[in-house]
Amino acid sequence: MMASRGTGAVLSRAARMRQKLQSALEANVLDIEDVSYQHAGHAAVKDNANETHFNIRVISSKFEGQSLVKRHRMVYDLLNDELNSGLHAISIVAKTPKESGS
Amino acid sequence: MATASAVAVTQNTNQRSGGATREYRIRSLARSAARLSFFSSVSGGASDHRTADFRRADSPAVPQPASQQFMKYSSGLGGDSSANGDSSSTRLAADPDTHQDFQPTSKSSNMSFDDIVARDIKENPVLIYMKGYPDAPRCGFSALAVKVLKTYDVPITGRDILGDLKLKESVKAHTNWPTFPQVFIKGEFVGGSDIILDMHQASELIVPSFHYQKGQLKDILGDIAQKGEQNESS
Repeated sequence: MMASRGTGAVLSRAARMRQKLQSALEANVLDIEDVSYQHAGHAAVKDNANETHFNIRVISSKFEGQSLVKRHRMVYDLLNDELNSGLHAISIVAKTPKESGS
Repeated sequence: MATASAVAVTQNTNQRSGGATREYRIRSLARSAARLSFFSSVSGGASDHRTADFRRADSPAVPQPASQQFMKYSSGLGGDSSANGDSSSTRLAADPDTHQDFQPTSKSSNMSFDDIVARDIKENPVLIYMKGYPDAPRCGFSALAVKVLKTYDVPITGRDILGDLKLKESVKAHTNWPTFPQVFIKGEFVGGSDIILDMHQASELIVPSFHYQKGQLKDILGDIAQKGEQNESS
């Protein structure tokens, strides 16, 4: 919903995450919200509160039959590069189309 | 996600570990004998077996008293300066863009820590690797996980991973999970704060058995609560 748009050729982290998650999960719904500002005072955020904390909501039939841990692992694995380059924390909601009521 | 995160951060910067350690001692009196010796080493009365483990695990250049080593592991009091020293040197050595939470872990150099972690997971019915302590969390997500677990009448064992980089690496290698908190219930990794909150709130739908059902956290914590009551009354 609030995915930030990259300017020029360099994509924002949100846009990069959207690309990685959308294709791999074939998501029906993919909401990525940058909430880094909420953690601006966090000791772990070094220089700026930029693109460090996100809320991610994804609805995908690929989650069928997967436990919550498994679903979160899928998202973590897809975002591994981001986690190794400044992404500090993500809050994940991972549901199947049936569970989300859609 | 924890909307209380901002509140938790500001209020916990004033709560150093002194108060939390006292809380731990009070709580530990109600626990089993094995765990009692574990915590009593904070005041210097450790059993030799546990002390020896930590001495070996830490292998410092300068020998430290066992109780002080233990405090470094569990409370981060004495270990704050060295832990910060560790983390900043690690950060400089690795990619400066990489947050220290996500730096690569190396299993081979932490064998004894892996043993400690494995035993911790096995021996504590509810175990949370977190930032800070159950009574003084230092992160909104950790605070949320503790808050949820506290609504159940179960003993909660917390381990602060901020005070010990080796411990943090060891836990992350164990679960292959990149974030904290990490909650273990009856020896099994259950998930982070999102999952714990989800299981607590339960969904409106009845979903298949491999997913959670209404009140599942209550189910799996239920028998721990009963055991806890027995221990505390005896």
